[in-house]
Amino acid sequence: MKQWIRWSGLLTFIVILALLVLGWMFAAGPIIKYSIETFGSQAAGAKVEVGEVKLNFSPLAVEILNVQVANSDAPMENLVEFGQAVADLELMPLLLGKGIINNLSLTGLEFATTRSISGALDEESAAQQAEGTDEKASVKKDDEEKGLVDSGLDSMQQSLPTADELLAREPLLTEQRGKAFQQQFKQSQQAINKSMAAIPNEQALAHYEDEFNRIINGRFKSVDDFNQRKKEFDQLKKRIKTDKKAIQAATKVVASAKTELQKQWPQLQAAPGQDFSNLKSKYQLDGAGVGNLSRLLFGEQAGQLSQQALYWYEKVKPFLISEESEEEVANTEQSRKFGRYVHFPTERPLPDFLIIKTELQVSLALGDIDIHIDDITHQQHVINRPTVIKARGKNLKDIAALNVNGVLDHRVKPSLDRFDLAINNMDVKNYNLGTMGLKLNRSQVTVVAWAELSDDIINAQGNGVFSASKFSSKDKTVMAKEMVASLAKIKRFNIDAGAKGQLTKPELSFKSDLEDQLSSAFSRRLKEKQNELEKQLKDKLNNKLLSYAGDYQQQLKKLDLTNGSFSAKQDKLEQLADSELSSFKEQQQQDAQQELDKERRKAEDKAAKQQKDLENKLKDKFKKLF
Amino acid sequence: MIAMLANLLKALNSDSAPGQVALAFALALITGLTPLFSLHNLLIIFIACIVRINFGAFLLATAFFSGLAYLLDPAAIALGESLLTNSDYQELWTGLYQNELLRISGFNNTLVMGSLVIALIAFIPVLLLSRWLILAYRDRLMVWVDKLKITKLLKASKFYKAYQALAE
Repeated sequence: MKQWIRWSGLLTFIVILALLVLGWMFAAGPIIKYSIETFGSQAAGAKVEVGEVKLNFSPLAVEILNVQVANSDAPMENLVEFGQAVADLELMPLLLGKGIINNLSLTGLEFATTRSISGALDEESAAQQAEGTDEKASVKKDDEEKGLVDSGLDSMQQSLPTADELLAREPLLTEQRGKAFQQQFKQSQQAINKSMAAIPNEQALAHYEDEFNRIINGRFKSVDDFNQRKKEFDQLKKRIKTDKKAIQAATKVVASAKTELQKQWPQLQAAPGQDFSNLKSKYQLDGAGVGNLSRLLFGEQAGQLSQQALYWYEKVKPFLISEESEEEVANTEQSRKFGRYVHFPTERPLPDFLIIKTELQVSLALGDIDIHIDDITHQQHVINRPTVIKARGKNLKDIAALNVNGVLDHRVKPSLDRFDLAINNMDVKNYNLGTMGLKLNRSQVTVVAWAELSDDIINAQGNGVFSASKFSSKDKTVMAKEMVASLAKIKRFNIDAGAKGQLTKPELSFKSDLEDQLSSAFSRRLKEKQNELEKQLKDKLNNKLLSYAGDYQQQLKKLDLTNGSFSAKQDKLEQLADSELSSFKEQQQQDAQQELDKERRKAEDKAAKQQKDLENKLKDKFKKLF
Repeated sequence: MIAMLANLLKALNSDSAPGQVALAFALALITGLTPLFSLHNLLIIFIACIVRINFGAFLLATAFFSGLAYLLDPAAIALGESLLTNSDYQELWTGLYQNELLRISGFNNTLVMGSLVIALIAFIPVLLLSRWLILAYRDRLMVWVDKLKITKLLKASKFYKAYQALAE
């Protein structure tokens, strides 16, 4: 047996193995440092620098010191940096070529710190100029967007112009119809005047009456006298007939004028109302103009917040989830050169890289945030667990509670990342709304929001309840004052914000009962102003109407009076004509009657006398008898 | 390389047991055909170190079989694939898979599994065949090979002399 055993060989094997282990121990730190810097830089798109990597053996752990991850968008700034990260490694998986970290704790975590040297990758320095251009374009776009907001505000401010400005600016129906009415009125007036000229006036009527009295009163002295009077009467009657015709014609003219004016009058009368309605809707005097006000007040901030959230999501995502493409998986697993690994069911599947638990504490101005992340890996399908993020606020200033939960599930396609945010009773103080100099002096906000991201599509929804709110504005404009006055009536309001669509260009929606409340409050304020404006408008429109129509009712009354006077005149003429005929007959009848009465009275007197004589005779005879 | 070749010639020509050289060939078959950086190869190298085999022959044969492996890899992968995906063995593989040390061996890799199975199957035939070939060589070809110019050239080289001095 001795002949077959080579003890020197055993020693050589041990020595070589020991050298390999020692070499690995000394080389592991720099190798890990190199790997983090190389692959980290690729993932971040900017320099990732590691101060030092130390290897501990009991327990096996890697300590990474002073890590700086530069911001690819701002190379003179670190996206994140931390003082120390301790990764508790598992040895056996490490021998399998799999980095399984049981626990990773980060301390001294800071965001957006300043760098002394640029963090841009060398090959990207050329691209920086383009980025600079993009930034300028972005700034320009921001300005444009701000411009849009301002213009939106301007248009709102324009919703309260003066009545004179409005009337001067717009073509008015009142003017159009008024001119037409005025034209018609003039024509009618001319026709009426012409017809009026043909009819007898009061003096003429009095003259007629005098003439009639002269003709019909007094006794006909003779037949010639009667004939003379008859002739005069006939002439007068002829003139009256002519005048009657003139009166009838004038009546017709007046009636026709009245009908025409009455036809146009309702249209003219309605014109100011229609003009007012048109002006009201066009210049949004109905309060609908404040419908998007909450978006105007909070939309920009909400947009910025969502952009920031998406920005950080995009930045952090490569470090949490570096998903293997199907092609990569296929290449790795199907390589003919290296064969492929056939995986079997196991209680402890091992991905190539996994951080089972990550604990970090972030110190922000608002307080500390404890973040726990479970199962950071790019091979979630291997462990069949998603990456779970839990962030809890601690010792927060001005916030009662802050909770963020996230689940990044990339086990199946399409992947789904979901985040839930809950903020309870956050005190907001002196928050500039950036519009009309408005400031939210104080408010207590409770926010519940969620966001789902899948295949570069975002669907997010958030609700914020603002209570005990107080607004102010440094602006002295009428609009700002009106806005503050309106907002003063609102103590509690909700804001629902949503984002849908492409992650890079989501469509933001904004809904709030503030809009209703503000609309209502603003409408009330606006109503007061509007009433003034309406009154001015109506007055001015009525003045316009009157300037065209005059005092139509009086004119109409006048026409009616004219018409009435025509009737009176006609009646008078009729009466005069009738009265002439009846007087002449009556005179004849009266004469005859008087003659008859006279004869009858004579006969009666005579009969009475005879009767008295007879009585006297009878008395005398009776006296003589007795 | 020349030194190894010279060492091989020396081994073949020396009095060392034909079995030791043949075992070196057979062990090299495993390290050569299977992926070099595998856990089982650490064991083979360990055996090669402590068992008195001709190490030069082992290294040279490893290089030879590694070259041969390029031709055999597709067949090895296909064999590994059929074994690892064979439903009859699933329970076995699943059981082995639970052991992390065995997983470190990479047994669930189709190339490792296929090439190791081929190497293990061929181990005994190669051992016997190479032993028979060594004996045949010593009996019939050794004198003729020693007379070859290349052999003389190798034996006259500085490397061979240095190796011989070290070996003695």
